[in-house]
Amino acid sequence: MSSNLHQAGVKLLKQLGRHADLIMDVYLSGSIAEDGENDSAIDKLRKADILWRPEPGQELRLKRSVRALLEEALSDERNRQIDANVGSSLATIKTLADHYKEARHSADYSASEAYLADLSEQVYSFTEGLKYSIRVLWSRINNEFGYVGTINAKIRENELAQSQVSELLNGLEMFQFSELGEIAGDIRELRKLLVTRLQETLSDCTQELSVVQGRLLELLGRFRQIQGRTRLLKGWLLYTDMHPDYEVADHVSHKQLPTLFNRAEAILAPAAVDVSNTAQEVELLAMVSQIKSISRAGRDLVMRDHDVAFALVEAEDFDIPDNPLKLAVDEYFCAVIDSGINQSALDYLRQKEMDWDPESWLYQVICGYEGLPEEHRRYFELEPIGERHPVYSGNFIIRDVELGLA
Amino acid sequence: MSSSTQTVLVGQGALIEALLRGEFICRTSNEDAWRALKSQTTRDSVEQYLNQINRTLASAGEGEVFFCGYLQLGDDERKVISSQFRDICHALIPLVEWLVLVQEASGQDAPLSEGAAVRLNELQTRIEDTPAFREQLAKISHYRLFGSSSTQVDAQIKLVFKRLVELGYLLRPNQEKQIYIATGKLDYLYEVIRFIDETEGLSLEAQAETATQRDLI
Repeated sequence: MSSNLHQAGVKLLKQLGRHADLIMDVYLSGSIAEDGENDSAIDKLRKADILWRPEPGQELRLKRSVRALLEEALSDERNRQIDANVGSSLATIKTLADHYKEARHSADYSASEAYLADLSEQVYSFTEGLKYSIRVLWSRINNEFGYVGTINAKIRENELAQSQVSELLNGLEMFQFSELGEIAGDIRELRKLLVTRLQETLSDCTQELSVVQGRLLELLGRFRQIQGRTRLLKGWLLYTDMHPDYEVADHVSHKQLPTLFNRAEAILAPAAVDVSNTAQEVELLAMVSQIKSISRAGRDLVMRDHDVAFALVEAEDFDIPDNPLKLAVDEYFCAVIDSGINQSALDYLRQKEMDWDPESWLYQVICGYEGLPEEHRRYFELEPIGERHPVYSGNFIIRDVELGLA
Repeated sequence: MSSSTQTVLVGQGALIEALLRGEFICRTSNEDAWRALKSQTTRDSVEQYLNQINRTLASAGEGEVFFCGYLQLGDDERKVISSQFRDICHALIPLVEWLVLVQEASGQDAPLSEGAAVRLNELQTRIEDTPAFREQLAKISHYRLFGSSSTQVDAQIKLVFKRLVELGYLLRPNQEKQIYIATGKLDYLYEVIRFIDETEGLSLEAQAETATQRDLI
């Protein structure tokens, strides 16, 4: 028997899997027409009791149980169905508990075990269903009934949710734990299931439901306020349209002024500078002169050349033309070598009648000497000619230099 | 004197200044001040200060909007109040028509209320596309409250929004963007209408309800 059931279940699930696309299409669109396209698949699904025809001539729809499975698994917010039928669940639980007790009493252990398993399943699915209902309620509250468009529809949805909450709460009141305790007696397994487990869940759920109820009322209040404002505006327009000569009564002439209209006149006016007042001109100008203008625009405006053609070519040869002054100094050095006698730089300058500035000449000579490589410089001696500064000791004023061979 | 008390004092100074400038303080327009006024101690000390200059702290919209009122009413104060009352009564019809236009043009369930954003460009496109809305906008913009003489939707709607910002019903947080946010002063406006409705027994809501039901039939 159980292997039969197992096989049938697997077959059903496989069928669901094989026609998953089709089933989701039906789920989303609500129904499916038999237009010959998927006839064989639809036929199979009908035989498996997944699709059914609510009335002759109507299109095929998904079975409630399959739809519920999908809604629950997908947390689809369009799911508004809440199973508030606590009474029948309670009755089933009580009945199963009685079966179990009887089987236990007659020492039929296999039967009692089966009943206990059934009972646990019943209790667990009941608590799970309860929690699921609350979750559905919350998800609807959290998106503020976003699945319907208008405020009126939201208010109706809210009222539906409230009636569901009160039904659930009424149902939960039917649980009398003293009665359940009596049924459970001193049987440990039953006490655990019926008393501890159920009681915990139910008190949690009751608490949560009261929070849900509070939130629903709060939302309803807000919706009504919004609706009220819209109506107020529309009503005002209607009224003033119908009574064109209507004037608002003088509500402020009463002795008791409504606080709403008690608005003081502004005593701090917005301040502004009076630029046309000449008496303040001096002060204003003084203030203006202290204003620092920080202008970042216009700075850092670097014009860049765009699209400059650039090619990587071999560097061209270039040479730096020798400074004529430097060449002249070189000649002076050569002359000293040629003659072999010491000669002052300025004497050479005068002798050759060159038109360099004497001071530049002297500097260039000194530079030329200092710039020689060490081994060359050793052949020369540069003697400064000049005098000490008459006032500041330690300063030596060079008037001329004398170059000679070492 | 610790630095923390000083900041509180400075903050309270700004808060009192805002009240004396005749501003409506709500969460959208001035969140810091609104938060401060939500605390009883600040409210007490502000009230104490205001009382010295014959002012008192008043609130509307279930305590979400604060403004400054007179503590005692002499003849001068009454004059100010009746002129203000006249102003608001004259503004009621244009403002209500504008609110309904915005609500219908943007296809929303709820009329504008504090904190709601209006995108001018979207609204303008919708109004331009619908002749009925265009007519309605033209009518609204020609009220004395807005004072437009233009025939262009663009100029009309920009002027209306500019005036509403000046009147404190809207805020424009970013000058470069055409996004406006409704302030608590709109909630004050609803309360004024509700007050008139209740005291004069106009039963506006019921009338609107029957009218919509007649439309449905």
